[in-house]
Amino acid sequence: MTVNVPEATAPLLEVSEVTKRYPGVLAVDDVTLTLAAGQIIGLVGKNGAGKSTLIKIIAGAEHADEGHLWLNGEPLVLHRPHDATVAGLAFVHQDLQDVGDLSVAENVMLGLGYPRKMGLFVDWAELYRMAAEPISRLEADIDPREPVGELSVAKQRLVMIARGLAQRAQLLVLDEPSASLTDEEIDHLFAVVRRLRDDGMAVVYVSHRLEEIFQLTERVIVMRNGQLVADEPTASLNRSSLISHITGHEHAQTAAERRASRGVDGRPDTDAMLEVEGLNADTGVHDCSFDVRKGEILGLGGLMGSGRTEMVRAVFGADHRLEGTVRVHGREIGGNHPSESMSAGLALLPEDRKTQGNIMDFSVRNNITLASLDRHRVRPRVPFPSSRSEKQAADGRIGRLSIATPHDRQLVRLLSGGNQQKVVIAKWLEQGADVLIFDEPTIGVDVDGKEEIYDIMEELAAEGKAVVFISSEFSELVGVCHRVLVLHEGRIVGELEGDAVTEPAIVEICYSQH
Amino acid sequence: MSETASTPKTSGRLGSWRGEFDLLGVISRYGVIITLLGSILTFTVLNDRFIEIDGIRTSLNLASPLLMLALGLTVVLAMGDFDLSITGIQSAAGAMVVIFIVNHDWSWLLAIVVGLLFCLFAGSLNGLLVSYAGMPSFITTLATGLILIGTRYESADGRNITGSQDLPDIYRDFGVGKPDPWLELNTPVWIAAGLAILMWLLMSKTEVGRYMYAIGGNPEAARLSGINVKALRALGFTAVGFMALFAAVTTTARTASSVADSGFSTLLGAYAAAFLGAASSKRTLFNVPGTVLGVIFLQAVDRGLILEGYSTGVRDIAKGCILLLAMAFTRIGASRQ
Repeated sequence: MTVNVPEATAPLLEVSEVTKRYPGVLAVDDVTLTLAAGQIIGLVGKNGAGKSTLIKIIAGAEHADEGHLWLNGEPLVLHRPHDATVAGLAFVHQDLQDVGDLSVAENVMLGLGYPRKMGLFVDWAELYRMAAEPISRLEADIDPREPVGELSVAKQRLVMIARGLAQRAQLLVLDEPSASLTDEEIDHLFAVVRRLRDDGMAVVYVSHRLEEIFQLTERVIVMRNGQLVADEPTASLNRSSLISHITGHEHAQTAAERRASRGVDGRPDTDAMLEVEGLNADTGVHDCSFDVRKGEILGLGGLMGSGRTEMVRAVFGADHRLEGTVRVHGREIGGNHPSESMSAGLALLPEDRKTQGNIMDFSVRNNITLASLDRHRVRPRVPFPSSRSEKQAADGRIGRLSIATPHDRQLVRLLSGGNQQKVVIAKWLEQGADVLIFDEPTIGVDVDGKEEIYDIMEELAAEGKAVVFISSEFSELVGVCHRVLVLHEGRIVGELEGDAVTEPAIVEICYSQH
Repeated sequence: MSETASTPKTSGRLGSWRGEFDLLGVISRYGVIITLLGSILTFTVLNDRFIEIDGIRTSLNLASPLLMLALGLTVVLAMGDFDLSITGIQSAAGAMVVIFIVNHDWSWLLAIVVGLLFCLFAGSLNGLLVSYAGMPSFITTLATGLILIGTRYESADGRNITGSQDLPDIYRDFGVGKPDPWLELNTPVWIAAGLAILMWLLMSKTEVGRYMYAIGGNPEAARLSGINVKALRALGFTAVGFMALFAAVTTTARTASSVADSGFSTLLGAYAAAFLGAASSKRTLFNVPGTVLGVIFLQAVDRGLILEGYSTGVRDIAKGCILLLAMAFTRIGASRQ
């Protein structure tokens, strides 16, 4: 790839010896760095490496315990997020922070003061005109009058970027901006980011998807355990050297190598544990039939919006089924209650751990035992949970999944994203299902965490369970799946098994459906 | 799997104190209790009758129906729902029981059982509408509450129904009763205490209680964990009906009448108590011990102000201010995190 490295201009933002402590954790440890205008800088690191805290400090949402910020050579003091906005720093967070009921224009101009008529009434025509300008710079097909909540995730992110443009931001920080975007949308996003760079903006791009870092950025900053461990031109790095910076140890394996070294082959010759026939659901699932065998890991590939999540939700009974049968261990299960599917031995680890997976204000312990509480009673017939039995179970899972938490009473809200995901996995391992459906379990999870999740799936298969694994990173499917089904518009359009499971083959099926 | 480098550096246990005394932290954590103790101290200094034991016993008796109502609300609030019909159910059921006994010569037991069935029915109806038909709880229960209060008015042309001659002594004992020989507390206090223990066991110690808090935390995650969210939310409204019956019997028994009253001040008092209770808990969750504390708080303030000779209006203003104060203390902590 050709990367156009512009002449580094005078530093725009300087972060000088910044340290931030939380009770018991050194989140940012003496970090010094400079960001120059007209550059795209990748910021990478594992969950809990300190990226988010550093960004929050620059955004004025957290205050550093030590250290200073400088903007264009002037000391920058941030008392609250609004100060950062005024200084020309814009942030697009992973969790969209727009106001869904308000129009695009109202969101773009939010906090900047709406134009007025007679000093009192909002001048709507002027507001829409003002908002249309940054949107057109992004070449986005978005009507400023539309409520933001009705836009796609990709367009909502563009609205957030447009807000930054309307602020005349000098620095734009994008935190995992490609999550839940289709490939085309990602291409558009990249084009937008490059154009902003060419206009002289400094762009910080945070992502766990390393391919994107290599495609887009000119410089990479790596954080580990709160420290800045590498700050190098992207061109001087390759995938494996970047991974070793991130993890702190030497290992980097391609998906195909992983597949070969683990001896992943075709599906085992065993009985089917999950059988789905003629499944239809009004969420856009059409005539899906497949089975998963004991000890098999089945991958579900497809583009964003191909209906994979909808299909497994209908299988689990999270959404209503119109037609079709689902059998677990040969026994048919009704389609209306997750609890019925669970007692048959089926588990769904949902896509969004925050809104569907965890009770964020419950402790790690109470989340882990939530789906199996009736096995942690003080006496078998007395429906009172025994905290001793719960603690034992939770501590066991915390140890085996190496969930980074100070103790089992910690609120899940306070854990990092990857550890929150592990808590969801722990809940379902504790529940003891035979067929486990993992829907995008590695989103927002760092390199080591991903590897741990693959290991967990492989262990489950080896124990004689059946695993269904949904991922939008096809390399992951190649690394662990015996067999991959590819979906498109709610239908199963392709099947690959054994040696045929390769990334190009999955991509080929995805894109040959038009 | 081995422990990886992803574990953040920890200095001992998380939550270990930073050494210095954190005054704001203490105020926010114990804001409600500090305000309560402050109020008690002030009233005691102002008037030494405030801590007379007989007066306290009377206060506890008067607060018992409020506690019963607040306990019912705690269950629905913990699941993220509101029930504004609780005093409507109480008022309608109270009138019903009194009319059955006074006008129709029913036995007190039969009247209470029928009243209980009515309350459970009304609560379940709310539950069906909110949980199964998916209507918003706030406006739905406001509507059913209005219907019940209106029905109560029409059933007696808007008048109080008195029955001091016709209500049997055994029924009237539910309102005051002979004090027990040990603590010399009246019957309603013991009933309220029993219900509080029952609800505390339910909410804090049973699987059902855990599931209820899970629903309050994230209903979708709870549903996907196999919890029957609809049934438990409906059960919460039924529990409200159950509590309303006890409040109805104790109040009508004490005054030997069913008072024609919208019940709104009682409703607001019960909500205030439940919210005070949540504010007093570490994770600001609605919880039974907190609700008990909230009821005691409100009753103590009321009693102190009555002893000082203040009118109803002034007492409401003072209670409102104290509520704001307690909430403000709690927010101080929340906004700092």
